[in-house]
Amino acid sequence: MTLRQAQGPALRDGQGPVKIVVVYQSLLGIYGDQGNAKVLHQRLAWRGIDSEVIFVEPGQRLPADGAIYLLGGGEDNAQTTAVRELKADGALFSALADGAVLFAVCAGYQICGHTFTIGENDEVREGLGVLDVTTRRGSRRAVGEILTRWTKPDGTQTYLTGFENHGGFTTLGPDAAPLARVEVGIGNADEGTEGAVQGRVIGTYPHGPVLARNPELADHLLHLATGRVLEPLPGPQPEHDGLRAERMAFVRRTRA
Amino acid sequence: MPSDDLRRKADPAKLSLPHRARLVAGTVAGDLAATASRLLGKGSGASIRGQILTRIAPDAFGDLVKGRRIVAVSGTNGKTTTTHFVASALREALGPDAGRLVHNADGANLHYGIASALAKAPRADVAVLETDERVVADLLAKGRPEVLVLLNFSRDQLDRNHEIKFLGRDWRSALDRAGADGPVVIANADDPLVTWAAEKAPKVVWVSTATTWNADAAMCPACGAMLTRASASDGTSTWDCPSCELTQHDADYVVRDGFIRLPDGTAIDPQLNVPGVFNIANAAMALAAVAELGVDAETALRGFRSVKAPAGRFSVATIGGSSYRLILSKNPAGWAESLPLLTTDPCVLMIDSVAADGKDVSWLWDVEFEQLRGRRVVASGPRAYDLAVRLTYAEVEHSVIPDLTEALGAATGPGTVDVIATYTPFQKLLKMGGLR
Repeated sequence: MTLRQAQGPALRDGQGPVKIVVVYQSLLGIYGDQGNAKVLHQRLAWRGIDSEVIFVEPGQRLPADGAIYLLGGGEDNAQTTAVRELKADGALFSALADGAVLFAVCAGYQICGHTFTIGENDEVREGLGVLDVTTRRGSRRAVGEILTRWTKPDGTQTYLTGFENHGGFTTLGPDAAPLARVEVGIGNADEGTEGAVQGRVIGTYPHGPVLARNPELADHLLHLATGRVLEPLPGPQPEHDGLRAERMAFVRRTRA
Repeated sequence: MPSDDLRRKADPAKLSLPHRARLVAGTVAGDLAATASRLLGKGSGASIRGQILTRIAPDAFGDLVKGRRIVAVSGTNGKTTTTHFVASALREALGPDAGRLVHNADGANLHYGIASALAKAPRADVAVLETDERVVADLLAKGRPEVLVLLNFSRDQLDRNHEIKFLGRDWRSALDRAGADGPVVIANADDPLVTWAAEKAPKVVWVSTATTWNADAAMCPACGAMLTRASASDGTSTWDCPSCELTQHDADYVVRDGFIRLPDGTAIDPQLNVPGVFNIANAAMALAAVAELGVDAETALRGFRSVKAPAGRFSVATIGGSSYRLILSKNPAGWAESLPLLTTDPCVLMIDSVAADGKDVSWLWDVEFEQLRGRRVVASGPRAYDLAVRLTYAEVEHSVIPDLTEALGAATGPGTVDVIATYTPFQKLLKMGGLR
C-alpha cells in the first residue's frame, strides 16, 4: 500500500472520529452484518483510535463524510428499495468520489454491480454501478461454509473464511478484480473467483461477521479508510486463531 | 366452524377398515422404533415413531386430525410454552374429563410428530397442537382447527428460511382457502407479517404483545414499502404502512408492564411460574385462545401457573453434583429475550450449528452480548469459538470450553447456574440432567 492510494481519507483523518456508516441495516442486515461495524469500531478502539458507528435508515440522509460505508445482506425487495434510496440520496457516490471505502456483503455486493435479478421470473434490476460486475440467478443456491485465498496488498496470501447464502452468480467485468480465489464453496461462480475489488469498493459473498472471522481483512479496510499504518494488535488472539482453525478444518471436512 | 364451549364433544373420524389396519400397524411399528430409540438414548422417540407411522400409513396425519376440536399454535418463538399454557387451561376447565384432551407436549411439531401424538389418543376429541410454521397450511386444510394462535415471525434458521415472507404468504393463502370455515385466529397485532396473514381469517382476536424485536419487520409484507413506527417510552412501538392499507389493529388483549389487559378492561397480573416478559405475551395469546372455548381467565390462569418447565424449558437440572437452570434459545429474537433472564455469575452459553440449530451463526452479531459485561461467561458447544470472538469484541470476560460437560464443570456456583443453549446442546443437557 502506498500512501498516495490512501490520500482521500487521510485528509479527513484528524478531523474527529473515523465515521463507520452502516447503510440501511433494517433492509440490508438480516445476517448479522452489523457485526462488521462492531469489529471495525473495536479494532480501532483497541489501538486508541476514535471511531463512531452511524446507522442510517431509508428516509434519513446519508452522511457524505464517512470513512467507510457498509452494506449487508437482504431480500430481493430490500435490494430494490436500497438502490432506489441510495440513488435518490446521492451521498454515497460523492463519498466514494472523495475516497471513502465501501465494503459490501452478499445482497449488498450484488447491488453494487450494473444489474442483478430478483424474483422467480428473474426480473432485471439496475444496481449502483460502482463495481464492474453483473449478477443473475445461478443454477443452484449457494449455501454453506466457504473458504477462499486472498492475496494481501503486501503480496502474501491468507485464507478468508465465511458463510455464504445466495441465489445469484456474479460475473466480473474488466474493471473489477476478484477479491479472492475459491478453495471450497461457490463464491461468484465465475472461474473460481470470489468477490470483487474496484478502487475502494470491495464486494464479497460471505455475509454476517465476515470481518470477525478475518481480522486481516478488517485491518486492510481500516488502513484503506484511515490512511494510517495500523500496528498489529498487542497480545495473542486465541479466540480468532481458534475460530479460524476450527472453521477451516470444518469446511475442508464437510464441503470439499 | 363456530367455536363453542368445551361441553360440545366431537367425534374423531372413524376410519375405514384398511385405513384403520394400516394405522394400527404403523402405530405398533412406530412404538417399537420409539422404544428402541429411547433405549439407545436418542431422545423421546416421538419423531421416529411418527416417521415410521407415516411411512406405513401415509394418510395418517390427515386421518388423525379429522373430526377433532383443534387449537393450533404456530410462530417462530414461544410455540411450546404457549401450547402448554393452552393445554393446561383446558385440562383445568375439563376437570374430570381431562382425558378428552391430547397434546403434542414434547414439542414434536411436524406432520409425523403431530400424527404420533394423536395416534396414541384415538378417542381424545380435543387436540392442542404445537404446529411447525411449515405445517400450518396443511393442518388448516385437513384438520379445520377451531382456533389458530399465530405468535410471531422472525428469522429462525438463517440457512433455511432465507425469505420468511414465503411462510407468511403460505398462511395467508391457506386461511383464504378455508374461507368461512377457517379458524378464529389469535394474532399478535405487533407483528406485521402475522397481521397480514391473519387478515384472511373469518374472525381475528388481536393481542398486543409488547414486542420489542422488530429487526425482521422493516418492510410491508403486502406492498414492500418501508413501514413507519411510532415509538412509546416503554420500548414498544406501533407500526403502519404509509403506502397501502395494512396497519396495526387495535388490540383486544394488551400486554404492558407485566400485566395483561383483558377486553373488558381488567388488568391482571398473571403470576406465571416461567420467567420472562415474552412468556407473559405467550400467556396473553393463550388466554385469548381458550376464551374462544369458553374458559374464563381465572380458570385459565390456574392452569397456566401449573406450567413450570414445558418440554424441559426453564427446568433446573442437577448435573455432576451442581445445579443448572436450562434455557433454550433458537434464534436472535429468542436470545434477545433470554439474555436478560441471566442472573448468575458465572453463566454458560452453548452454541451448536447442526441442522436443528441453523447452520449459520451470523445472528450472534445481532444479539447484544454487551449486556453481559462484568460477568464471567463460559462459551461452550461446537461453535464456542464463534461466541468467544463475539464476546471478545463485546469485551465480556469469558473462557472457551467447547465440551459441554467440561463447561458445566467449570461453572459451578454455590447456587443454581444459568445456562442458555441452542436446540441441540439443550437436548443434550436435558439428557445429562435425566430430564428426558
